Amino acid sequence: MTIQRTYEEINTKIRSGKAVIVTAEEIIPIVKEKGIEKATEEIDVVTTGTFGPMCSSGTIINFGHSDPPIRMQKVWLNDVEAYAGLAAVDVYLGATQLSESQGMEYGGAHVIEDLISGKKIKLKAISQGTDCYPRREIESYITKESINQAVLFNPRNGYQNYNVAVNTSDRKIYTYMGILLPNIGNANYCTSSQLSPLLNDPEFITIGIGTRIFLGGAQGYIAWEGTQFYPQMLKGEEGKAIYKGGTLAVVGDLKKMSTDYIRAATFKGYGVTLVVGIGIPIPILNSKIMKNAAVKDEDIWTEIIDYSFPHLIKPSLGRVNYKQLREGNITIRGKNVPTSPLSSYAKAREIAQRLKEEILRGKFLLQEPIQKFPKENKFKSLLEIH
Amino acid sequence: MLSKKVIFTFSPQNVEKPVTYQLIKDYGLWVNILQAKFEPSLGGKLVLELKGEDEQIKEGLNFVRQIGVRIELLEQEVIWDEKKCIDCGACISICPTGVLSLDKETFKLKFDYEKCIVCGNCVEACPLQAIKVTF
Ligand code: SF4
Ligand code: SF4
Repeated sequence: MTIQRTYEEINTKIRSGKAVIVTAEEIIPIVKEKGIEKATEEIDVVTTGTFGPMCSSGTIINFGHSDPPIRMQKVWLNDVEAYAGLAAVDVYLGATQLSESQGMEYGGAHVIEDLISGKKIKLKAISQGTDCYPRREIESYITKESINQAVLFNPRNGYQNYNVAVNTSDRKIYTYMGILLPNIGNANYCTSSQLSPLLNDPEFITIGIGTRIFLGGAQGYIAWEGTQFYPQMLKGEEGKAIYKGGTLAVVGDLKKMSTDYIRAATFKGYGVTLVVGIGIPIPILNSKIMKNAAVKDEDIWTEIIDYSFPHLIKPSLGRVNYKQLREGNITIRGKNVPTSPLSSYAKAREIAQRLKEEILRGKFLLQEPIQKFPKENKFKSLLEIH
Repeated sequence: MLSKKVIFTFSPQNVEKPVTYQLIKDYGLWVNILQAKFEPSLGGKLVLELKGEDEQIKEGLNFVRQIGVRIELLEQEVIWDEKKCIDCGACISICPTGVLSLDKETFKLKFDYEKCIVCGNCVEACPLQAIKVTF
């Protein structure tokens, strides 16, 4: 008999402290030993985690009104410009926006980290002034306690999979995939592979709009499909299928987050980004979902891409799996190349563990998606029309 | 026992001298090769860690100086701020001497200071600015 479970059954077990929960790493030996069916019977939830640079991130802030009031038209937080084209005292601060005085050393992501850690942030705003909002400028300090809302809203996070970046040119290049040494001197990759949320439910059977997630140390939600969402599988080479383009738009209360799970980072020569911690629980509703959640590094493939090529479509140098990548060396064109992850596996594991504990303590219930993501999507390029 | 890290720069005239062999045999030093780059027509560069008594190291270095090899002592040090580090691993593949790796059990960063030649590569590669070079 094959097992079928509902979200409600799982939540009832969580409330009564009887749910069985393991991480996406712990499930691998269990399935190996007992098989998919038996594991499906025994396990209710598998938790996943990832902690990596996610550039498409930012926060919505409402400062509250001053007296006399101002309709803020341009706003800077610690010298980093936030987008103020929203009403009077709402802004969107993007993670990659750079400081106007410190350049690449400080940016939107650093303001976000400072805000979370309770530091004072310098606010400067200017306006033309109107009859109802007479004030033309303001300088003050804010903290997370002084403002009305700080809502993290990240339009594209949690990339399902990503390229391995190499450089075939004869000079060192600085990219969002880190520093790439000449003549394929190193290879950088960036996922938590077998722990990664969207690789453990690659067909989005349980992950959709409304799914409750662990976000930066707090509970958050999936708001929508991420921008550039592309859920289709790339075939090509036999037995080396690649899920590549699933992404998430996520939302959560920044004030409740912790700098243990959300950090600012600077990639030299590229810029500032936000390192975001995301964990997603996968309800084991049936054996198909269990089979997907038991995925191992050696079954997850990705493509080695030459980042020295300055065009949108870059040449591929072949496919590798994450077992090979995580061993620390791969062979490319007969050369032994050291690898670097840019996404922290140790932290991904910590997030999956923490999420597991929160569910076990009954503090985190599973939320069925209100709406599923599209099964297919087009990936469009920007055409230049004159 | 003292331990010193040194860089030897060879010219085409002295590039073929068996320096490490003599440091071991004639001066009784413990020699660990951290990095070696040679091009017989142009010269070469050798980064070594030397261990021995103060006197032995001094005499050994004098001998190397006499055959015309340029010596630099590595006095700088690399400081890794573990609290800032998120164990992402971005610094690993860029290190020329394999100082950095992820622990096979915990996947946290391991820093094998002994092998470090203070090249500074990891300093610029770390997105969290968790590594610094001091003078
Ligand atoms: S400075 Fe950093 S990259 Fe250079 S040798 Fe030392 S650890 Fe390796
Ligand atoms: S790059 Fe920096 S943060 Fe990442 S593992 Fe190395 S020292 Fe730690």
